[in-house]
Amino acid sequence: MNPHTVKTYGEELDQLSAEVILMGGLAEAQVADAVEAVARRDVALAQSVIQRDQRLDELEKDIERKAIRLIALRQPMASDLRKTVSAMKIATSLERTGDLAKNIAKRSLVISESEPMSGLTRSIERMGKLVSSRLRDVLDAYKGSKLDIAQAVWSSDTEVDEHYNAMFRELLTYMMGDPRTISACTHVLFMAKNLERIGDHATNMAEHIHYEVTGEDYMNERPKLTTMEP
Amino acid sequence: MPDYKPPAKHYVPLGGILAFAGLILMAAIPDFQPYTAWASLILVAYGLISCYSRLQTYLEVQSAKPATEIRVKVQPEGPSFQEVLRAMPDPVMVVSGLEPDDIAGRWVVFANKAAMKLFRMEREGGLLVSYIRNPELLEAVDEALFGNVSRSTVFDETGGAQDRFWQAWTSPLPVEGTGKRLALMVMRDETDVRRIERMRADFLANASHELRTPLASLSGFIDTLRGHAKDDEGARDKFLSIMAAQADRMGRLINDLLSLSRIEMNEHVPPTGDADIPLAVKDVVDSLTILAQEKGVAISVVAPKPGLFPVVGDRDQILQVVQNLTDNALKYAPEGSVVEIEVLLDQALPQATAPVEGQASRLMLLRPDRQLNDVYTVVRVRDHGPGIRREFLPRLAERFYRVEGQKSGNKLGTGLGLAIVKHIISRHRGGLVVESVAAEVPAADGLKPDRVVPLTVDVKTWTAFSAYFPQKSVYGQVPVGPRALEGGLKSAG
Repeated sequence: MNPHTVKTYGEELDQLSAEVILMGGLAEAQVADAVEAVARRDVALAQSVIQRDQRLDELEKDIERKAIRLIALRQPMASDLRKTVSAMKIATSLERTGDLAKNIAKRSLVISESEPMSGLTRSIERMGKLVSSRLRDVLDAYKGSKLDIAQAVWSSDTEVDEHYNAMFRELLTYMMGDPRTISACTHVLFMAKNLERIGDHATNMAEHIHYEVTGEDYMNERPKLTTMEP
Repeated sequence: MPDYKPPAKHYVPLGGILAFAGLILMAAIPDFQPYTAWASLILVAYGLISCYSRLQTYLEVQSAKPATEIRVKVQPEGPSFQEVLRAMPDPVMVVSGLEPDDIAGRWVVFANKAAMKLFRMEREGGLLVSYIRNPELLEAVDEALFGNVSRSTVFDETGGAQDRFWQAWTSPLPVEGTGKRLALMVMRDETDVRRIERMRADFLANASHELRTPLASLSGFIDTLRGHAKDDEGARDKFLSIMAAQADRMGRLINDLLSLSRIEMNEHVPPTGDADIPLAVKDVVDSLTILAQEKGVAISVVAPKPGLFPVVGDRDQILQVVQNLTDNALKYAPEGSVVEIEVLLDQALPQATAPVEGQASRLMLLRPDRQLNDVYTVVRVRDHGPGIRREFLPRLAERFYRVEGQKSGNKLGTGLGLAIVKHIISRHRGGLVVESVAAEVPAADGLKPDRVVPLTVDVKTWTAFSAYFPQKSVYGQVPVGPRALEGGLKSAG
């Protein structure tokens, strides 16, 4: 830590990253709860996820306001500037993550009205667990500025894609087997897609962390799976 | 412990001065007016009263002081409270806070060893949010800090390789006086209770669902034997052997379910003791040689000498991992092929699980939590069966999952083998990776899952399972010699 001449400047920076971590924790819980609401057909939990999303929006606005204020008043340089900017960007990613979790919760309300499909919801649970672990890793990387963890998260994105593709197939089999399940299966498919996008946001955040720590952009191509025909 | 504060002594002289001033006022003013008399009287009275009360509190504190001193004296002989708390098995934390809206102002001022382990803390203090992100828990801490509310919260550790559930009690601590607020947090592991609950439900659901089919077939045959097949000698023998096979299957299913439950029960308790993977491989190969010969499959082993390179683990469970993986490979290995078992030391966990160059698809079925020294011993079991296509890989370790198109026919499995392997490895904090090259299947319209997988010997297709077990330390250069099993090879040749 480089000590700043004005003490409150350092405090402001700390406050900013503390709020991002807090927001991350909230987003993590939103994803975990949304997936649990799907798995247990828990309507009350789904509704609380939907309500809590507002808090994430507020936090994002707050972080943005603080970051802009910091840039305007303190003119941060070098690593401080990167810290400020990446806090803003990560907050945006987390807010999107929250939105996707909220969408999963909304869809879980719809499918809880139809027949239980334990096989499918179990797949969602497994995928959700994987995505949660990536979110957790990326936030751990952020709080400790750990590049190796960020790198590992970044390079393991294909795993989530594999799960998504497997689910896509599974859902097709279901829908072909019984057309009455099509509406519920479509919702499950969107849930899987949302989880996959949360995984993408984790990758994004890993890139922001890399930028914050090193000051360099990621040069490599993102690992991608191209098994799916366009 | 509250600090001992000396009484404000200057109040005593102040009271005296006031009383004295009153007296002088009375004496000095020549023409005696009623209001000056009253004013001076009030001054004297007030001075005296304040003198008296201050003196009294001073005396009280003085009389209480010896007791405090004795308490202080006792402490250096025994362990301090902090040491006692540090040794507690349950996580304990003390958090301080300044203002409700200042998140960066919440600090962990004390954490015992268990808490440091639970929240993966590198030091005893630090910013609260950098260790705890769980919103419910943070809210409970806030309520204790600023709302003086004590309560208990249930929270789960999500995202890790093992699920754990905790109950946390948060309660306010007496304020120090500087405007700083303190809260105490004590946690208790509730994983066992939750696990038992969930497992009972899982076991019942699995057992009732999976036992129904063989049970139905058994009762069907019993009806037939009682009915028109009563006197048919040939049919009776045939039916009885089918019934015996079904009963066998039910027995195996129950055994597997029970052992899966047992392993799941202890999954969050890491094993202690040493296990020797090369020895386990040797034992398994010895016991499976006859089966392999019957099938016309050879087993080749490349492993370091047994007895030199132990990993932390439960010997029986590691044996079961090797056993299940080899069983599985033998099941899908076509006649005349080789099942290869390899033991590698000092392997770093492959961080990139992206499919490697070429055709092999590769997926991590179980990823361990990050540790400081990531070195693993790997057991890799490879068969040259038809391979598993990429889209089926993610569901492999699911219980009762069967890859589409794979005939279960004569292959007697319960569908629990890989699930057991996964849970054992998870208990050992290891990892499981599957790699496979599957036979090319002409893609139809891209929508229909292709159900036909050719079951011929194809050198190009293979499936490999690699189980990673954490090592205690790096072993360095290890001589590895090929050790083929003659028995198995002969039958293949």
